[in-house]
Amino acid sequence: MPDPSIQLDLARLVTAVGVLAHVSLASSFLGTIALAVIGEYIWLRRQDKEWLDLAKKFNVVATIFFGVGAAFGTLVEFGLVTIWSNFIAIIGTAIALPFFLELFAFLFEVIFLPLYTFTWNRISKWAHWTIGLLAAIGGYYSAYNILAVMSTLSVAPPGLTLVNLAEQGKNVAGAINWLAAFQTPTDAWNIFWWGANVFIFHGILAAVILSWSGVAGVVMYLYIKEKKSWQVKLLKVVVPTIAVLTAIQGLLLGHLQGELVLEHDPLKLAALEGMYWSGLRTDPLTSFVAYGDFNHQFWGYYSWPADIRPPEFVSVFYLGFMVGAGILLGILTAGIGLYLLFGWFRRIVQPLLKPSVYLIPLLAALAAVGGAVSTESGRYPFILVQSVPSADGPPQIVGVPVYQGGLFNPTLQLDPLLATLIIIVEIAMPALAGYMVYLALAKPPKLLKRLVEY
Amino acid sequence: MTMDALTAITVGLIAWAFAVHLPLVYTVLGLTWLLPTLELIGLRKNDDRYFDIAKSLSRYLIFTYAIGGVFGTIVTVFLAGLLPVFTNAAGVLLWPVWGVAIVFGVAISLPLIGFYYRSFGKMDDAKHIALGYGLAVVTSVIPAMFRLVFAFINYPMGVTAKPDPNSIVGFDLGVDLWQALGNPTYPPLLIATLAGAIAFTAVLISAVYTWRYAKTKDEHYKIGREFGAKVGLIFGVIYVLASVWYLYEVYQYSPTMAWSIFGSPPSYLPAQLQPVYQPTLNLSWLFYLDVILGVVVLAFLATALRSANAGLAMAAFVAVIALMDGAEILNGLAHLPYAIVPSPPVALALINAYGANFALQVADTLKVSALITPQINSLVQLIGAQPWLLSFSLALFVIFNLILLGGFYLVFSWRPRPQVSAQQ
Repeated sequence: MPDPSIQLDLARLVTAVGVLAHVSLASSFLGTIALAVIGEYIWLRRQDKEWLDLAKKFNVVATIFFGVGAAFGTLVEFGLVTIWSNFIAIIGTAIALPFFLELFAFLFEVIFLPLYTFTWNRISKWAHWTIGLLAAIGGYYSAYNILAVMSTLSVAPPGLTLVNLAEQGKNVAGAINWLAAFQTPTDAWNIFWWGANVFIFHGILAAVILSWSGVAGVVMYLYIKEKKSWQVKLLKVVVPTIAVLTAIQGLLLGHLQGELVLEHDPLKLAALEGMYWSGLRTDPLTSFVAYGDFNHQFWGYYSWPADIRPPEFVSVFYLGFMVGAGILLGILTAGIGLYLLFGWFRRIVQPLLKPSVYLIPLLAALAAVGGAVSTESGRYPFILVQSVPSADGPPQIVGVPVYQGGLFNPTLQLDPLLATLIIIVEIAMPALAGYMVYLALAKPPKLLKRLVEY
Repeated sequence: MTMDALTAITVGLIAWAFAVHLPLVYTVLGLTWLLPTLELIGLRKNDDRYFDIAKSLSRYLIFTYAIGGVFGTIVTVFLAGLLPVFTNAAGVLLWPVWGVAIVFGVAISLPLIGFYYRSFGKMDDAKHIALGYGLAVVTSVIPAMFRLVFAFINYPMGVTAKPDPNSIVGFDLGVDLWQALGNPTYPPLLIATLAGAIAFTAVLISAVYTWRYAKTKDEHYKIGREFGAKVGLIFGVIYVLASVWYLYEVYQYSPTMAWSIFGSPPSYLPAQLQPVYQPTLNLSWLFYLDVILGVVVLAFLATALRSANAGLAMAAFVAVIALMDGAEILNGLAHLPYAIVPSPPVALALINAYGANFALQVADTLKVSALITPQINSLVQLIGAQPWLLSFSLALFVIFNLILLGGFYLVFSWRPRPQVSAQQ
């Protein structure tokens, strides 16, 4: 039987790859269904057939991403049941509400998306557009609820109490050691507190930026090769929007989220900002960003015990990938956007168009992965993190641990071979989704034994 | 809200989700086997019409998988939200079962379905047929695993319960999975599921194509009608035989279920144990209704081999869905009051090892009313405090069910678009 710590690391790796694959597919769905609905709306208003063609293409692509993404959603869900099985008791005792509400979102998606896909030219145009809008609303509401759960993992919502049964010498059926409960039943709605909403909208905008950046890269590549009018039209919508959303992310939502981390999980802040010292020390830059002056002191990363400190690499993912790549993405897309809309900065932008084919998607991916990894690894080894003030030292950081005795399935036996197999599946399926998108969009092959339109 | 009301709501919501989920996944499973078979017949007979039928049916495969998958998620959320301790323990004890079903079933089969659908006419016929059968095998892994859980619920073979004073429920649970695989109710249940799925889907195809043929006299529909009727008859017989075998094993090992299904306690059950195993519901009426529905379906299939009777086709369409749902509801609710039936061999082992009181304590814990643990269940408590949430949800579920039925009606009623054959 493999070493328990190796099993835990393997389980984390399997989960991380699965979650990132799911997030990339779900983000792609959110971005492309929005483009389908926007494209159809523009067609309805302007009667421009190129937008109709685009809307149909994005509808097909969105459907593919939804299908594969939904499979991954199930994979992640059962990953919870099998690997982090004791999370189920936490869901049942505290955070079932967003999962329950997500069902309605899912019903919206799964009923309206196929209807949208199969009813082009079969029903009235505005009715068709409304069906597409309902499918998109389902997708975004689904993201809203799942991000509310993710937010709860990072910062426990107000009114949540953690119950450590093991501390009281108890358990349930020899398997469950932790429960969580709200003070009153109606406090279950606290999962959607304002701090969670900051997290949620930060995540939703990140999904749109990521997927639209991928679209921008592909269309810019085609534009450089073919110079077709639909490509310019699409780029004029997508690229400036990425710039605006990136600015909102950094200047508003990112800032608010930083304040929340400062208040509710100062250890995570220390890890993210790379404050590698012990005790209190002034950090002028963080002080300026957080308080508007240069004098505030912060607890350093080494002020907390080693066994509850998140990994040191999170600062690289946060500062290097998320912040750094995010800023570069904002500047690049703002410049290209202004050039596309008004013809400004021609000399600077034109040489950048070719590398932007790769740079825009790459920067967006780095920022997204950086954000996801720093958020989730930054709270390690806990979920439902709470900060308890301490009279003579840094605030105490508590939560439900993910390791043995916490969320981890006590009977799980995950060896490297099995983990490798699962990871191969996790990587292969998005790749297959990409190939299906290629098949859907590619021109029909010249040699076909049987060609049927359907 | 009272304990009985909460239990009824819990069971009702889970039963509703299963009642929608299972016929849909039966259709998916059936289609994954039938579509490549249609292609294979088309290739052997060099008849493009079989390919056309397979292609037009593949659209429904996507539609039903998507909605069936969502209802699968709904089932899981209801189980986690309403029966968290049960679901948590099921995850701990049966993780390899969930793992195999999901990784090698769902995660692979769903993208493969999309790939199969999108690659019609875009790859060599033989390769496409092989892809189709590969998809069927992978998809069959899902019921192969999940039916093991259902068999475990009938008769928790391989499970161990040891007294533990620190455990809030008074004991610790464990399971020997190899022993669980030897569950006698598992093989007939799995065979009945696979044969039933193929027969069920074939009857649906035959009924819809009979209806369309009666209206259009198009030969395309005649082929589909006859194909569906033949397959439905063959696999229907296998389904009936496997079901009889399953009921025999259930009678032997799961007295609560047998009592509920047949309306009286099994003859081997001593009178003093009858209060322990008495079911909440007497579902024998449903069992006999299923038998009658089966006769209706059989009558249709016999007719459909020779002629097209549209009225009988629609009756069979409704009857086969009702039959399948009835059988699944019967299988799902006959356990009550237990979530897992403390079968006599398991109970006897516990009595021998730890005494009768301990065995009764375990049995009581396995009741649905105990497993919803209302004192710690946030969703149940919230519904108790804000009943509008339940009313609102039920109203939405009804609306979605109506839209779903409307969607199915549209899918079946629309004529396929003109098809273009471009033979090289």
